Amino acid sequence: MEKRHWRCFVCNDIHHGVAPPGLCPTCKVPNAYVEVSAAEARRIVGGGADTSLAPDEFRTALERFAAGNEFRLNPDRERVDLLLRGVFENERRYGLKFCPCRVRTKDWEEDLRIVCPCNFTVHETYQGAPGGACWCGLFVRRT
Amino acid sequence: MAKLLMFHGQECPHCRKMMPRVERLEAETGLRVDRREVWHDEANQDLMRGYKDALKPKCGGQLRVPAFLNAETHDAFCGEVEYETLKDWALRQ
Ligand code: SF4
Repeated sequence: MEKRHWRCFVCNDIHHGVAPPGLCPTCKVPNAYVEVSAAEARRIVGGGADTSLAPDEFRTALERFAAGNEFRLNPDRERVDLLLRGVFENERRYGLKFCPCRVRTKDWEEDLRIVCPCNFTVHETYQGAPGGACWCGLFVRRT
Repeated sequence: MAKLLMFHGQECPHCRKMMPRVERLEAETGLRVDRREVWHDEANQDLMRGYKDALKPKCGGQLRVPAFLNAETHDAFCGEVEYETLKDWALRQ
């Protein structure tokens, strides 16, 4: 199913998905989303304040993300630092935070699967593996 | 001599672990492994993509690093392995 762009008519939140959210997560108004073009969605998202994340802020974002899950950031700080360096270098060179342990295929949809954090819960290194970890070892299962 | 390739990433921890094992392999066996860094070198990325049909089935359907490949037979594997496993692979080429 093809993902499309949707805009909340009240607060201008943008959603990219196969269907609009029933309730706007920001302003809580029901049935608020109208379909817009990708170009319009990009202009709205790109025109506001610069919300780029510095590496330390991204680390905090990853910690917050992991806090509600069965995994956590690897306690090996040196490893995490190395991986975040790679992720940011890839963003600088190629525009997205690509995984430092995989390579782009140049197929857009396929490459979106290697933007960090990826859906590593399907990796064989994580699923069912004792001490499971994402392919790079940035995230590890909580013990 | 078999043409052995290693695709690796500068910021990939598994690749870093494998480097000294590759150096040991070369020193002990006289084999040579052509190391190609992929994230800082687009030509090496293209080279790796050129082998995607050989690599993807052995690498979880993706272009993962570290990836080891015999450029002639296309015998390949991905990931961090013990030295003996690397050596077994290299010697059967
Ligand atoms: S494997 Fe780990 S480091 Fe790589 S993209 Fe996925 S979460 Fe990030």
